[in-house]
Amino acid sequence: MTPVQGLVVFVAFPLLTIAVILAFVRLVRGPSLPDRVVALDLISTLMIGIIAVYAIATDEPVLLDLAIVLALISFLGTVAFAHYLERRV
Amino acid sequence: MVEIATIVLILVGTFLMFVAGLGITRMPDLFLRMSATTKVSTLGMGAVMLAVVIYFDDLVATFHAIAIILFVFISAPVAAHVIGRAAYFTGVPLWEGTIVDELRGHYDLRTHQLESVPLPELEEHLPDVQVLKVLLPATSPLAGQTLAQINMRRRYDVTVLAIRRGDRMITNPGGDAQIQPADELILIGKSAKLDEVVSILRGLAR
Repeated sequence: MTPVQGLVVFVAFPLLTIAVILAFVRLVRGPSLPDRVVALDLISTLMIGIIAVYAIATDEPVLLDLAIVLALISFLGTVAFAHYLERRV
Repeated sequence: MVEIATIVLILVGTFLMFVAGLGITRMPDLFLRMSATTKVSTLGMGAVMLAVVIYFDDLVATFHAIAIILFVFISAPVAAHVIGRAAYFTGVPLWEGTIVDELRGHYDLRTHQLESVPLPELEEHLPDVQVLKVLLPATSPLAGQTLAQINMRRRYDVTVLAIRRGDRMITNPGGDAQIQPADELILIGKSAKLDEVVSILRGLAR
């Protein structure tokens, strides 16, 4: 295991996983719908980070395609949610 | 050298993303949570992507990472703005420690258009005077009363400049003008007094 791989496995993954769990707590607790949307947005950003460090650890740059797709989808999702929320008022 | 730079960038990036997770759980209201998450997580993601750029000796991977950085740096503020705006209009409560809500009264409640009331001369002559638009909720305890009955000018030192009812605008309403639910009142007065009147109109205080 190279130093970079060790860092990813023992530092980056745990930190990012805790962050995802914390965001998930907010997703469950709410209390408002915008809170949940923001939590989902954060989770997808964290997922992009996880994919990136995983790509580094496994030496697989192909995985970055996934990160691009995720970034696009999460942006569209957030904008769609906001549009729906504002129309509902 | 490459390895050290990668390690530093991954450490910085993942730490920032962890802080974003902490912020979304710990901050007291939506808008503070958003300020904690959107900025910090975007910066963290940028740092991790820079690590990717440095680590992979591969042009395609570099372009991928730069594309992600650019896209997220453009889209994250837009997404945060639209969701914050939608949250503000849907009435997501602010933290009780909030001191001032500068946006209040400055947007049209029907069209959701932002507008400021440009009265520079008036503000010059009358310091701390503010003009405020308030939509009267259906449950307002004052709905159905006339302005003379409410006696806002005497009691709260706030004057009703005009009432907008549907498409009609009643300017300089007299004492016999009755306020109705869904009326929009345009008030003038000192900020502190206006706050008091708004909470009474909304039925939050007596």
